[in-house]
Amino acid sequence: MKKAIIEMKSVTKDFLQGDNVISALKETNFTAYEGELIAIVGPSGSGKSTFLTILGGLQKPTTGAVLLNGEPFSNLPIKEKSKIRLEQIGFILQASNLIPFLTVTEQMVLYNKITKTKVNKDWMQALFTNLDVEKLKDKYPNELSGGERQRSAIAKALYHNPHVIFADEPTASLDTKKAYEVVKLLAEETKAQKKATIMVTHDERMLEFCDKVYMIVDGVLSLR
Amino acid sequence: MFLAFKELKYTKSKFALIISVIILISYLVYFLTSLAYGLASSYTNAVTKWEANHLILTVDSNDNMMMSFMNETQFMETEVSGDKAKLGLFPAVINNPGAENVLESRLNVYLFGVENDSFIKPANYNISGNQVIVDEKLMKSGYQVGDLIGISGSDLLLEIIGFSSKTTYQTAPVIFMELSAWQAHRYGSQTPPNLYSGIVVRGQVNNVSEDLLTYSVDKYIQTLPGYTAQVLTFSIMIVFLIIIVAFVLGIFIYVLTIQKTSMFGVMKAQGISNFYIGSSVVLQTNILVAIGIIVGFILTVITEVFLKDIVPLASNMLFISIITVAFFLFAIFGALFSVKAVLKIDPLKAIGG
Repeated sequence: MKKAIIEMKSVTKDFLQGDNVISALKETNFTAYEGELIAIVGPSGSGKSTFLTILGGLQKPTTGAVLLNGEPFSNLPIKEKSKIRLEQIGFILQASNLIPFLTVTEQMVLYNKITKTKVNKDWMQALFTNLDVEKLKDKYPNELSGGERQRSAIAKALYHNPHVIFADEPTASLDTKKAYEVVKLLAEETKAQKKATIMVTHDERMLEFCDKVYMIVDGVLSLR
Repeated sequence: MFLAFKELKYTKSKFALIISVIILISYLVYFLTSLAYGLASSYTNAVTKWEANHLILTVDSNDNMMMSFMNETQFMETEVSGDKAKLGLFPAVINNPGAENVLESRLNVYLFGVENDSFIKPANYNISGNQVIVDEKLMKSGYQVGDLIGISGSDLLLEIIGFSSKTTYQTAPVIFMELSAWQAHRYGSQTPPNLYSGIVVRGQVNNVSEDLLTYSVDKYIQTLPGYTAQVLTFSIMIVFLIIIVAFVLGIFIYVLTIQKTSMFGVMKAQGISNFYIGSSVVLQTNILVAIGIIVGFILTVITEVFLKDIVPLASNMLFISIITVAFFLFAIFGALFSVKAVLKIDPLKAIGG
């Protein structure tokens, strides 16, 4: 039996727009197990980002709950959720994911500085080797190409050994070859490190690497 | 902190601009402060040097010591616990009879008449007749011990037997004479009336006759013509400059913060706390202020060394400390607007679907 890492239990999300209640997410149950790379696809405005932000603890669900490692997550105070995001969740975001004035190495060291922990040199080196960013480690984000930037972002997201990785359109600005490389790496690392990776994407080409593909249309999540 | 330092290092040129503004303003503020303090001191040095508590003048003098005439009875009737001393005060124009151009050597001074045994005399040796102790400013004008000083409009020649330091009154150097010699010059007679201008008291005043008025030394200083206006003007300038720094710095940091909104959003989405980001902004501000005022201060010290003889500059550690603290406080106040902006940033925006 594979371990469930992050779960949504009967989650809904309503927004108030004027006098109308907009149901952004209809009742949703969802589980991501370790070692799974899950893709979420759907047209713009379908509720993909609502889904991801609730899962990541950036918004509270209207009803229902999100569990992380079996523990309640979504209803914790904001500060605690922040701390959990910092320690247990890795983010790979579209463009501005990396901090512009830190080198690739420093992006990772920042985590140690914030949490007042020691830099894990061996693990960092392993990530550099696996993700082929060895040559880039002293470069600033604006000196990197799109693919290099996303590889560095993956290295950064994995560095603090999170349980879950959220990837928001990680291949948005990449050509097909680079995009394949990046998603393949993401899939490999997910398997090797036993993470649960949830990837929101528009990019149909990437789905072949994913273990499961979910589709969101008008706030309804369904397995494809 | 890590983030603050790394950003300063990466965006040097941007921050160099901000720092240069702070350097210029802090230089101006420190310079004005030492000018204000130097000027104020040269007004009052001779008075503060007494280390006295009170000054007694006649009521009729209307705060003007030169118009105060007091006699021996009034001195005897003044009861103090502590020490009291007679002081004669009169302005004079002096010249250097040994100079090539005597007219050009004219200088405004104040003649202080003091008794040999009084605590307001600045040196230990006795002065009598035409012997005088003069402020060291005159040394810079070329006078030496043994030189003679002429008094314009009079045949009197004074002989310098010593110098005193920090004895200027209303920015003019003071010449200390023996009280009877002072009276002879003041009243232009070999048998002058036994009058003097005021009583300086070190200690408490217990009883004075009704036609006399007791001033605390601080109060008396404020009555000096132009003193209060000058000190007030400088203070207002300094206070406003510090407030301007707060605004300039606050606006700069705010603009930089707004530019980084999306980056801070991403950081917050990743779980980096408001506290960490906010304190990084405040720390950055403090680093900028620290660098700026250190350089500004060094420039002031250099300026003081070069301009000391031309402009009355004097540093006072207390004022400098107060201003330095004020700089930091106001700058942090400016940075708080940015911190507020950071708090408002919604991490949700970082994840655009």
